Amino acid sequence: MFLALIQKQMKILLRSPSEILILLLMPIVLILILSFALGSLMDGNSELDMIEMAVVEHGDEKVDFSSFIKENQNQFQLDAKSLGKMEESLPAGLLMKILTSKEMKEILQVTKIDDAELEKAKNSGEYSVILEIPEGFTLDYLNALIFHKKEPTLNVHFNENEQVTSSVIKDLLDLFQQQYTIHTLLGQNNLLTEDMDLASGEITSTIHSVDSTEKITASVYYTFSMTVMFILYVAGTIASQSFIEKSMNIFDRIVLARIHPIIYLLSILVSTIIIALLQVAILFAFANLVFKISFVQWELYLMLTVMLAIVVGGIAALLTAINYRFNSANASNLFSTTLVAIFAFFGGSYFNISSLSPVFSKVGMMTPNGAALDAYFSISQNGTIQEIVPNMTILFTMAVLLMLLAFVLFPKRGGTV
Amino acid sequence: MIEVVNLTKTFKKASAVDQVNLYVEPGEIVGLLGPNGAGKSTTIAMLSTLIAPTGGEVLFNRKSVVKQPSALRKVLGVVPQEIALYTELTARENLQFFGSIQKMPKQLLKKRIEIVLEQIGLENEPKKLVKHYSGGMKRRLNIGVALLHEPEYLIMDEPTVGIDPQSRNHILETVKKLNEQLNMAIIYTSHYMEEVEFLCNRIYIMDQGRVIASGTKEEIKAILSSENKVLLKLEKLSNQFLNELMKQPEISNIEGKESIVSFSVAKETNFLPMLLAICEKHKVLLKSFQVEEPTLEDVFLHLTGRTLRN
Repeated sequence: MFLALIQKQMKILLRSPSEILILLLMPIVLILILSFALGSLMDGNSELDMIEMAVVEHGDEKVDFSSFIKENQNQFQLDAKSLGKMEESLPAGLLMKILTSKEMKEILQVTKIDDAELEKAKNSGEYSVILEIPEGFTLDYLNALIFHKKEPTLNVHFNENEQVTSSVIKDLLDLFQQQYTIHTLLGQNNLLTEDMDLASGEITSTIHSVDSTEKITASVYYTFSMTVMFILYVAGTIASQSFIEKSMNIFDRIVLARIHPIIYLLSILVSTIIIALLQVAILFAFANLVFKISFVQWELYLMLTVMLAIVVGGIAALLTAINYRFNSANASNLFSTTLVAIFAFFGGSYFNISSLSPVFSKVGMMTPNGAALDAYFSISQNGTIQEIVPNMTILFTMAVLLMLLAFVLFPKRGGTV
Repeated sequence: MIEVVNLTKTFKKASAVDQVNLYVEPGEIVGLLGPNGAGKSTTIAMLSTLIAPTGGEVLFNRKSVVKQPSALRKVLGVVPQEIALYTELTARENLQFFGSIQKMPKQLLKKRIEIVLEQIGLENEPKKLVKHYSGGMKRRLNIGVALLHEPEYLIMDEPTVGIDPQSRNHILETVKKLNEQLNMAIIYTSHYMEEVEFLCNRIYIMDQGRVIASGTKEEIKAILSSENKVLLKLEKLSNQFLNELMKQPEISNIEGKESIVSFSVAKETNFLPMLLAICEKHKVLLKSFQVEEPTLEDVFLHLTGRTLRN
């Protein structure tokens, strides 16, 4: 009898082309489009436009260095070799070497301009970034390095319209500052020796991946984000179909067949869980075939998907209960047309919401799709069961609350009211 | 026996059913007659335990089924006014589903599906999706679903609304057969007078939530037993002629439309000389006249002052 209720629900859904379109075809199409459209950007393969950079040097580094040596010739005796090495490693020159290196030439076009041209360059917007090396910069640098005096400052003007290039330059200057800070600390602690090679103009750093974390590619991101979004539509669809049973008096027939209304509601819950699991299985199989996404920790994926499907079942049961109580399909319609989109936004289905605000990220974790998405990412990055326990707890709590509410609200007599 | 006693249902202070009393005995066909909005469907919903009454009782074999409906539901088949079927399933799949939830054993269900398909005349198209059926076929399947578990009582709420005459006749014949061959008790609601007259042994006439008359067909018609209905066909109707008729104390319920005039007259009255004199006086040419026994429609008109399909 219970099996008949489930089979009926499955048959009706399978024979509804519009529902299949929403539940299966749309997520597949969106996964494809978004993965290919945003893939190069998210996966770091996008071609960056050449960054135009202007450099204004107000002073003269060699003059600064000569003055410093002259002023302090009584304090240290340096041979010609050491002096030569120091001169090669002066900060402004070092920075210019970095900016005009072979590697940087692929992304950076550096133009030296005069003091007089600075204001014009600032206003024209011609340059993505303008680097101003103030007068006495090198002198200040050497005084700070050796005598702990005032630290020198570089002035950098970013074109705020070009956020990507600005952030590239920021990263570059950060790298330079790190080198500078190391030198300063070594100098202040008398650890700089004559034999020590100071930083050369070449960038020798390499990018290391952190721990064993797998990178989240666009296809991985959108496979999971679209799955957790479209699984929600299963709840709205089943709740709407169940309301048709009421409006067409089919539910009356079910009640007259001595099926308790709660058993009927239970069949809605179980059908939704099964359909949601099937939907996820199909979407993941598609992702595996097309994007070669592997589901290595399949036990964790299964556990998480079952829990998410139970939450979706709970939503379907609650929407059905509200529809039946108020004799209207408004609840399921509102859920499918509005709430899913809001959940998807906060849950990070469209883009990584945490990049906007940490508050949004916290709100997202309170949505079933957001909690599940975060857990899917953890598993895909070789996360352990302990790492997804908080997400599973959130989903479990939601499932219990939704089911309790649904069973309380569902009219116990059923039938026409 | 199913019995309702002082059955009342109010929706937000509006009374839909008011102190209705009726009963149905095994093997009889009872008609529930009334215009749209008379309270028939609400009465049926309470009778079939689908909604709880605000007041009164529904008894099955003298036991209340308002709180314990299972005993009645077991022997009850209900044909709702709406097509309560899954249109995405075939006729056979619908029957299979509704039979399964009745917990019928597989073999019995298989056998019953074949019998029911034959009873409702759909044995040749059981694999067609219901959404591709005609209105009449859907109505027949709607009845078939209620027959699957061989109920002792069958409630049919306006089962012939909106279908072609052929399907209508098929349904009426099916109902008659079910009653005669299987001794199934049937509660038949309709606002088609001729259907109720054709099928039912006893009749309840409802209007504005109340039963306004009840009894066998003969008993109900006996309400108008002292009168005959007269139909006149004139060459041309005149207002003076109608006004003159209205002045006659022995004539009532006068209606005139185009060239037809109808009125009721006491059976013992010899109205012919009076009628001819009025025709003569107003120069109206009487082409024909007909004296009829009263119908249920006349009874309803007599009791409420309105026709059933108003």
